[in-house]
Formats: sequence, C-alpha cells, structure tokens
Amino acid sequence: MKAVGARLPRYDGIAHVTGRSTYVDDVRIPGTLWVKALRSPHHNAAITKLDTSPAEKLKGVHAVVTAADVPLLVYGHLSALGIPGDEPLLADGEVRYQGQPIAVVAAESEELAMAAVEAIRIEYEERPALFDIRKAFDPDAPVIHEWGNWYPHFEGELDRRQIRKGDIEWAFDKADTIVQGVYRPAAIEHVPLETQVCQVVPEADGRLTIYSCTQALYFSLGVVCAHLQLPLNKVKVVGGTVGGGFGGKVDTATETMCALLAQKSGRPVKWRWTREEEFLCSSTRAPWHMEIADAVTKDGWILGRKMLTLHDSGAYARFSPYGLTKHSFHHAGAYTIPNIHFDGYVVFTNRVPTTAMRGFGVTSVSFAVETHLSRIAVELGIDPFELRLKNANRIGDTTPNGVVLTDPSTVPTIQAIADAIGHELTAEYRTTTRDTRSGAFLPDHLVSQLGNPEEH
Amino acid sequence: MATHKGRGVSAIEYPTGMNQNGDPSQAWIKIKPDGRVDVFAGTSDIGNGSKTIQSQIVADALGVPYDWITYDNSNTDSSPLCTGTFASRATFVAGMAAKKAAESARTKLLEIAGKLLEIDPADLDVVDGEVIPKGAPQKKISVADVAGAATWVYGELITGTGAQLKPYAAIVDNETGRVDLPPHSAISYAACAAEVEVDDETGHVTVTHLWQCFDVGHALNPTLVEGQIEGGAMQGLGLSVLENCYPYYPSVEHRGGQFGSYLAPGMEDLPQIDTIIIENPSADGPYGAKGIGEMANNPQPPAITAAVYDAIGVWITELPITPERVLRALEAKAKPRREGKVVIFDEELSLAKFAHADVAVKFDVHA
Repeated sequence: MKAVGARLPRYDGIAHVTGRSTYVDDVRIPGTLWVKALRSPHHNAAITKLDTSPAEKLKGVHAVVTAADVPLLVYGHLSALGIPGDEPLLADGEVRYQGQPIAVVAAESEELAMAAVEAIRIEYEERPALFDIRKAFDPDAPVIHEWGNWYPHFEGELDRRQIRKGDIEWAFDKADTIVQGVYRPAAIEHVPLETQVCQVVPEADGRLTIYSCTQALYFSLGVVCAHLQLPLNKVKVVGGTVGGGFGGKVDTATETMCALLAQKSGRPVKWRWTREEEFLCSSTRAPWHMEIADAVTKDGWILGRKMLTLHDSGAYARFSPYGLTKHSFHHAGAYTIPNIHFDGYVVFTNRVPTTAMRGFGVTSVSFAVETHLSRIAVELGIDPFELRLKNANRIGDTTPNGVVLTDPSTVPTIQAIADAIGHELTAEYRTTTRDTRSGAFLPDHLVSQLGNPEEH
Repeated sequence: MATHKGRGVSAIEYPTGMNQNGDPSQAWIKIKPDGRVDVFAGTSDIGNGSKTIQSQIVADALGVPYDWITYDNSNTDSSPLCTGTFASRATFVAGMAAKKAAESARTKLLEIAGKLLEIDPADLDVVDGEVIPKGAPQKKISVADVAGAATWVYGELITGTGAQLKPYAAIVDNETGRVDLPPHSAISYAACAAEVEVDDETGHVTVTHLWQCFDVGHALNPTLVEGQIEGGAMQGLGLSVLENCYPYYPSVEHRGGQFGSYLAPGMEDLPQIDTIIIENPSADGPYGAKGIGEMANNPQPPAITAAVYDAIGVWITELPITPERVLRALEAKAKPRREGKVVIFDEELSLAKFAHADVAVKFDVHA
C-alpha cells in the first residue's frame, strides 16, 4: 500500500487530543526557578537609572539579568541574508516599545519573581513616540530609530525595495483608465493556544538543555549560541512539538534570556508567558499601507502598475526587510503586468516589533491587489472572473523581477471556482488554458515579456 | 433595515520555500535489526503535520509500511539541521531531504540484500517491506531479514542521509529588482469565492460560504491538506472581519490583552467551506508536492471585501471590516474622485493626505 496520497491520520493526533503530547509546559524538572520580566511601560524613553540590587537582595531570588550580562547584546537574526542587527536582547539605555524587556529575574516562585521585578529601581525620561507610518517621512517627525525612521540597508545600501520593469510612462499614457486605491490590513496576534514558554537546564557537564516551543530548532540554537558566544555543541534544543506557532515562534523570544538566567543561577529556570503577555508583548502580524494605481484599457488589460508599500515594522527590523522583499516579488499577484514601478519601505514605529505570520509579506499584497482588481472590474463593467482570466499568468510569462513561470495554475483554479458557484463564463474564458499565450490572450503589449521556461 | 447578500472572488499565488532560497534541510535514517525505520529530522511540527508527511514520504521512498516508521524531531543533538517550519517549506524542502535520506538507506539496504541473495542490487526492488528480485518474485525476502543479516552477519548498519538546498538567489540589480535565479522552490495557486450577508442596521458581516480551489501539486495526504485549507480559511476570515491588535490603529490605545477583548474566530463564525483540490505536480518537489500551508489564509480577505461591496455598494479597504466601519461607510457612501481618466479611491487614507507636502516618499501616478 502506498502511504503517499493516503488519508492517514495525523502521526501525533491521538496524543494531542487525549492530552498526552509533551509540550514545553508539561516538562517537570525538580528545583526549577520561575522567570518574570521587567518590561517597559513607555513607548519611547531613555532609561536614566537602573538598579537591580533591591531585587537581587530578596530572599529566594537567584539571578537577575540585564543588558550588561549578555555577551553579544545585538545579534541580527538574518545577518546571513545581509540584514544587520538593531535589536538588543534586553533594552540598553533606552526603550522603544511598551512591553520591551529590560531585565529578567529567576526566583523560587512566580509571585516572588514578580515581586523582584517590582523591586527593581528604574527611571525613565519619556520621548515623543511615532505610531503612524504615514507621518514617519515628515521632516518634523521624531526620529525613533538609530537608522532613521525607515530601514536603509536593502542590498547594503538602499532605503527601499525597488522593482522596475518595462516602460511605466508608456503604460500610463496609453491607458484608458487609471484606477487608484489604498489598502490597509491590520496587525493581528498569532493567538497560539500555547503561549511562549521555555525551560533551560544547566547540565553537570556545562551544557545547556533548552526546552523550546520554537518553530525552528536550529534557528533558535544559532540565535542562543550567537548571543552567548558558544559553539553549537554547548547547547541542546529540545522541542519539535509546538502548540501553535503561525510564525510568531520563529522569534526566539524567551530562550536566550532563560539560558542566561540558568547560567547565572546554576539552576533550571522556566518562563511561561501569561495570555496577557502573549497578546501585548509578543510580536504581531504587521499592519501595512499599500497604494496602487493600475493603468488599464477599457477592455480590461492591465498595462502597468505603480505601487507604494509602507510596512509597519514596529520598533526594530527583526524579519521585516525579508518580508517586504518577498512582498515586492509578488506585488503583481497571479497576473502578468509588463510595466511595473514598485517602491516599498520598512518603517519603524514605537509598537511591538512585527514579525513573520502565515503568508508573511504576501497576505497583505494579495488583499491589496485582489481587492483592487475587483474594483477595476466594477469600474470597467467587466466580469471579475473574466478580468482575472484575461490577465492571469500563463506558462512562459515573466514576473516583475524577471522569473519565467513554468507551471502557473491561476487559470484552472479560477475556472474551478466559477464552476463551483455556477458562474457562467463565456466560451472564450471557459476554454482558455494556462498554456503559453497565443491568439486573443497574447496582445501586442505582452509579446515582449514572454520568456522561455527552459531558461529556468 | 435589511440583510444584503453579496459575492466576491479572488485569485492568488504564493511561493514555497524561503524567499531567495538558501534554506537547507537535512535528515538521516537508521534501520533497526528487524527492519523498522527511525527518521531523524530537525523539522518542528507546528500543527502542519510535518511528522506525518515526512513519515509517509520515507515509507514510500524506502518501500516499507507506514507503521514501520518512527519519526524523531525532538532535539538538535540527534536530528540534523532544518532551517525551520515557516515559508511553506516543511513538505517541499524538508520532505525532499527525508526522501533523499530514504533513497540513500534503500541503496544500502539493497546492497546488503544483493549479498544475501547473490543478485545484483540493480535487479532488486523493495515493496511493502519485502525485497523482490525482478523476474524472480519467488525468491523475495523480507526487509526484516535483510536488516537482521546486516546486523548479525555482515556487521553493518543500514543508514541513509539526505539534504535539500537551493542556493541563495541574490538580487542582481538594485535598480530593477531582477533576480538571477528563481527566488523560490515552487509557486502554488488558489482561487476563492466568498458569500456574505451584511446587516445594514448593525453593520455586522456574516461570512456564509467560502469556495476554495488550491493547486497543491500533489496531495501527499488529502486529509491534512484539506485541514490546512480549511484552518487557513478561518484565519483569513478572522483577518477580514474580526481581528485587530490596535482597534484604533495607528493609535496603540485600547489593545485587547485577553480572549474577551480580542476577537479571534471561533466555531460560531464557521461558514460552509467547499474545498476543491487540483493537482499540477511540481517538477522538483517530493512526489510532485507544493507547499500551501501559509497561502491558505490569503485569498479570503479580498474575496470577502469584494462580497461586502457586492452586498452594500461600499468599498471598505481597511481591515477588519467591523460593524463600525460598515456603518460609517454606509453613512459616508464615498465615491471616488475623478480627474480626467484617473479614478481615485480612498483619498482620505492616502499618504498624501497625512504627510507634509515635502516628504521624502511620495505616491503620484503622474510623476
């Protein structure tokens, strides 16, 4: 019997639904200390005084860790992709979002750990905060990030992700209609049933065992070892079974701080975020601001697209430059648009850093370009299925950044949906296929963009 | 006061694997003395089913029953590197590493079987846990016997390793964004239709029906891929009409910190969902698979937004489409501004409306 293609039950399904899967919170280790964090109450402030000694003196408190204890405080999680680091593991002299961790403590109970957090003496000098990405470029906007208000390091030197193709001026001159719109999907929380949780055990041989809910065991291993300046054999990450991630558990939000506390206290430690921390202090899906202007002919060909994207990164870059690049590569959606002018910016604000979430970078652009297409269909009085089938990418078409498509399925999926809801297509659209463009589906303006799929 | 029905449609595409690639996965396999198979990979299972899918792939690539497979992704000491479970890569990229590991273990298994049977390994096949000589099926022996012989007769360990990597595809041109290699492992496609009911007195939008068609390449496990598509639909529904960390964005005030103050979709929001799977196998994924885990929550928001327009004649392009936004939009009944051949929607939301005239970044269709 073939396993591939079979409707086999989930490998760990019975264990999950009978409560027998071991998640991080289910691991019981004698002598474990509890972790709590001192978090910023302000959106943007300088830390003018930080004294942890009152917390350290409390009975039952075994370790307090601040920025001063971290061997490598700032580590760029995507340094391998050329994205430099900007986010300190723990706030160092300033806080840039409400909820940012400043110090973590390990104590004999959660209550005692909380009391220790409250005993830390800290003073702030508040600064003006920035929340609206549309105002970040104003000359009088407060500058809230060391790099300025938007990310300046694309390909090492660019302050935006830029895509250019064809002759955009020709497209806008030639168009019968130009349709312009603004699209703004919201920040949302990942809402995993399992909140961020971590346990770290300092082993007798000097290694650290990290029980982690990470979506990426080796990524977390690399991040912890980078901050602690350890070779990879000194840390063992245990995990692989995650109670919901959706992108938020790529962040390595707890592991490094717990490792430092375990090292300093010599005791196992555990940090279990409350639901409130998960909602308010964990990263979110980014809010986006997208403006699109499409140059279209009266019979529904999209000749060109101009697009401006502002990506609300929150207080630090984290994975946002990667997400925006992915967004830019897909801003033509499932369609072939020969003339393109795209600019995208990663904009800093004083909110919790945004991060990966299911569909990272593309969920936003799919919403914008598809809603825009629906508007164009109404504006031109064209069937929305047929407008899409007309412009849908075909085998051999090229994307805005020059990739030749080898197996696009836009045409068959749209036809299947039309069929499912009983939407009647005219014969021309019922019979068109995803094959290389020809005849009525190869107008003059698309001839020069055709590529040879064999090249890729 | 009335309830209005509307329908909308969308079509989307989504890449498999990390954008610009450079994201390796590795796996290794050992075979116990009775032929049972242990797979070690560093791929977290975040509910996407990677344990199941990789076990299925290994079973078929080796030629043994599925229930012979034990899958261990529990730690970084015994499992090799996997970049991680994100970017819709667990089936396509990590699954390919598991397949290659199984193929390499199969080669080793057949080498031992060849010695045992005195037949060229090239003339042997493995089916359902048995090694079968081509043209002489009566001489078949079980994989268990081969693994036993490896252990007790030949002093060998049957293992296999596999790794999958598409090298980093660099942007070659800052000016145009052109890339020198395809910046993905595969692209998947989907279309969706949404049906909604909008109450013009309360502003409430009810999503009543979603039809979704996904090209999954090859459904390695139809039950799990339907689970991804239907679970994704609920997250897409949440994005469309319910969820918002900052109810008064860009203000940070009134953030919800509990389930009672943050509207995540629940079973009471579940519409009728019709799922259509089509299969255009990918050229280089394991058994033709593509990755559709993430894109499953992408087609609903635009289809639902268009359905709301179809129902009540207003475009609401700030998500989520809350009752408040519906009522305000119905009150404003905003029409686009027309300037020659340019039709300008949503001017009140645009950068131009909020920024100084001399800002560094502009959006001007005439520029």
